[in-house]
Amino acid sequence: MMKQLSQRLLGPVTLVLLGLTFWLGLWVTPPDRVQGNLVRLLYVHPAIAWVALYVSFGTATIASALYLWRRTRSYVMDRIAHCSMEVSVVFIVLTLITGSIWGRPTWGVWWAWDARLTSTAILGVLALGYLALRRANDDPALRARRSAVFAILSAINVPIIHFSVQWWKTLHQGATVFTSSRTVLVHGSMAWTLLFSFVGFTLLFFWLLRARYRLEIKREESSSAQLDEALASRRSEGAF
Amino acid sequence: MDTTDALADLTPVAPPKTRSRSRRRSIGVLIVLVLAILALLSQGLLHSLNYFETVNQVFAGRASVGTKVIRLEGVVKPGSIERTSSGATFTLTGSKNEAVHVAAHGSPPQLFQANIPVVVVGHFTSATSLDFDGTQIMVKHSSSYIAAHPKRVKAPNGSTR
Repeated sequence: MMKQLSQRLLGPVTLVLLGLTFWLGLWVTPPDRVQGNLVRLLYVHPAIAWVALYVSFGTATIASALYLWRRTRSYVMDRIAHCSMEVSVVFIVLTLITGSIWGRPTWGVWWAWDARLTSTAILGVLALGYLALRRANDDPALRARRSAVFAILSAINVPIIHFSVQWWKTLHQGATVFTSSRTVLVHGSMAWTLLFSFVGFTLLFFWLLRARYRLEIKREESSSAQLDEALASRRSEGAF
Repeated sequence: MDTTDALADLTPVAPPKTRSRSRRRSIGVLIVLVLAILALLSQGLLHSLNYFETVNQVFAGRASVGTKVIRLEGVVKPGSIERTSSGATFTLTGSKNEAVHVAAHGSPPQLFQANIPVVVVGHFTSATSLDFDGTQIMVKHSSSYIAAHPKRVKAPNGSTR
């Protein structure tokens, strides 16, 4: 019952939260002292990056680890890892695009080869590599194991991206929310809107993951049905 | 008839078990990779990943910088900005009040202003001078966000709220 309700509500709640973020971000929140209206990208870019790095890549990594661990090994985990990695690619690309759009007017450049931007681009390449690796093998068990190992290895890059702005001197600014001094550097309605954007985009990820998972099940069903059909027709050929 | 018999057995065949030796080897490779990355990080060998050098750093090792093209970071000194026909000149200060005089070509980004940290791409005009010839200015804004006019935001009807 509860499960059914939450399944039903996922889409509408996501839509309401993102709509709320959009309205607060564009009309209610004030312009920033330094950035003026450009600060409104604060309600888009960080939340998308959060989903790309931690929520989606994190889900893919945890699902991969659960697949490798013998007690929880199942193709459900493999499928979750595959589907969230696909969604992750979308969000990593969106992170780079929205960051670039923010960077041009504030920094003055579309792109800089600093540690934060470069390591994020590398994560995108790793995620694409994961999807390519999945296509390289047809044996489901072997494919699941190899891609799980690859996902876990790629995840080493996530903490590197997170701490890049502390470890190296970067053009990208440091943390606003997860600061080392644990003080949030944004206040009032701006902070609330930021929070809504994080929750909204996180729910959007789960909505997309669910849709992608269902599609994967359908795809597997249809390919096994095709196989059965082909076998049946070969058998009938042999009968004559 | 033969073909039907051969096709009849279609139960999936279990793949042969991978030998534990190859498994042990791949775990070994993983451990070595992780250790290598950790070693690189801890040894500061990735120091060259720094995007710029600060004015302080340059003052500490001025001779090694010479007239090489570098990215120089500092804070724009208030009152020092002068717009020129080819760009802008201004003074870049370090945290200990060291000062570098910058002549930059090309139009600065729209956020360029006094008291903001910037990164200037360019080189010193001679091996010992403190005049910096810049080709590009990048604004390095901070990560704190503060309302422009707290309590003085104008609503469309003209009232302040």
